[in-house]
Amino acid sequence: MSQAGNKRVEGRPKRARLELLVRQEDGDGFKVREIPSAIAYLQSRPQRIPDAEWELARLPYGAQGVVPYALKNRRTEQIIQISDAEKFLWEQMDGRASLRDIGTTYLLRYGSFNFEIIPTLIVKLLRADLLTMRPVSRLRAVLARNRRNAAARAMEGTLHALERLTVTSRRAHDVFARLYRYGGFLLFTPWTVLLLMVVLALGAWSGLEIWKDLGQVTHGLAKHPLIAILLVKAVFWLTVVNHQVIHALACVHHGRRVREFGFTILHGFIPTFYADVTDIFMASRRARVVNAVAGPLFHLFLGSLSLWIATMLSPGLFQGFLVASAILQLQSFFVSLYPFCFLEMDGYHILVEWLGVPTLNHDAVRFVRESLWSRLRRLDSLSRQEVVYVAYFALSLVSVVALVLGTVWFLVYAGEA
Amino acid sequence: MTSAEIEFIRKVQLFQDVEEPVLRALWPSFRERRLRRGDVLFRTGDPGEELFLLKEGSIVVSKPITGRVEQVLGRIEPGEAFGEMSVFGDERHRSATCQAEADSLLYSLDRDSLSRFIAGNPQTAARFFQHMAQAAFKRLRDSSDLVAEVTRWGLEATGLDVEH
Repeated sequence: MSQAGNKRVEGRPKRARLELLVRQEDGDGFKVREIPSAIAYLQSRPQRIPDAEWELARLPYGAQGVVPYALKNRRTEQIIQISDAEKFLWEQMDGRASLRDIGTTYLLRYGSFNFEIIPTLIVKLLRADLLTMRPVSRLRAVLARNRRNAAARAMEGTLHALERLTVTSRRAHDVFARLYRYGGFLLFTPWTVLLLMVVLALGAWSGLEIWKDLGQVTHGLAKHPLIAILLVKAVFWLTVVNHQVIHALACVHHGRRVREFGFTILHGFIPTFYADVTDIFMASRRARVVNAVAGPLFHLFLGSLSLWIATMLSPGLFQGFLVASAILQLQSFFVSLYPFCFLEMDGYHILVEWLGVPTLNHDAVRFVRESLWSRLRRLDSLSRQEVVYVAYFALSLVSVVALVLGTVWFLVYAGEA
Repeated sequence: MTSAEIEFIRKVQLFQDVEEPVLRALWPSFRERRLRRGDVLFRTGDPGEELFLLKEGSIVVSKPITGRVEQVLGRIEPGEAFGEMSVFGDERHRSATCQAEADSLLYSLDRDSLSRFIAGNPQTAARFFQHMAQAAFKRLRDSSDLVAEVTRWGLEATGLDVEH
């Protein structure tokens, strides 16, 4: 019998892998999955012990340029010394952020990454009983514990089925590099910016022209509603793919690597294509902003172009389709760039670059949930950072509520109409 | 029994020292069995009455851990025998699940036929058991390697430092 795992490369053992057989829900079908220890490590979520059980003090001495802190476990009386950077990492270890998230946050804060700092700190914290490690999904853990309940079992099965819908290519970079070489680079030249401006101006003028004859345009669509909806949806899906392709090309343009490209069910219910361009974090701030803006601008370009072409056509299905597509593209442009909705989309990334708060969403939600009310009760004044958190949270909440109410109103209004 | 069949049985470690006449006498007791990918040969806890020889394909050996997840213990490759633990051991139940990972062709030999073969050929049987012991030692080594590997996985996955 040949044994699973335990492979070595010259001199140094490879990262250990667990080989697991996962059965399908119905029948004897199965899949064998290899789980490298490194993946499990990156997905673990370190959680510091409760706040009442530790204390932190800044020490009056330290090497030049290094601010030392003493971190004490009040229960065991153990004290360890940590640096300012380690203090920053300690603050992120709240049981919600995975080590991958923490690494990214660190990189955005300090602009470089020391691969040893996190494992070293974790070892130090574990030795002082200051830390516990949690699996990545508490929802999955709760569902697994309640398998006797039919609803929990059904939900777990649904989540599993949705996860299996993910289609990924980890060799996407070479394809995008070729795409960039054979023409993609043109997107990042001043000529493309000029072309965008011209098409944008034409689109604005066309929008005004179409507005005058809106009745005729909608009539063209209403005559073939099913075909119109299917056409608009299909083309929109294609543009979602292109949005991600543009992000990937922007990543290549700045000399960084596209780690993955694929299709997935985001948050368990939003079917979408995605490009993993997290390598762009290693590039300059300007590169990150260009990367974030590039995708939405593609929608703006397509929306304006569709409006312009629509003005040259006579009323009918095709003109109606172009106008409906344009509206959807412009809507996507605004939605992608709108930063206040608790979802970390393109606009959010631009906002955090501008504010210099890489974990704004996470920190704002945490601050409002855990600290804001007690601070307000004590009538404490808020720091500038805390005001930013509250503003972000409030604007996002208002936006989400407005979106839900607006959608309900629209559905009721459309139903009545 | 064709020469190809004799050649195959001879490649199986357990039978490599069995004389040809004995092998020819034993051959009618072998039953051919075909599995399609995904077919389960037996599950953990099933009663074990047969020894298997794999001629073609691949069999994955696994042990249930939780829910629908099982730990892969290893794979049976063509020319290997398996299933002898529950035929000769005290515990007459299967200790792991065996399932075809690819379309497979096997030969099975039931306990009674094996007992007759052993009783009728004591000298050959001694060499048969010697090979079986070697195979069992190898599996024991593989199992302890797997335990070490799983422990290493746990240490790496949690970042636990036990050296200091």
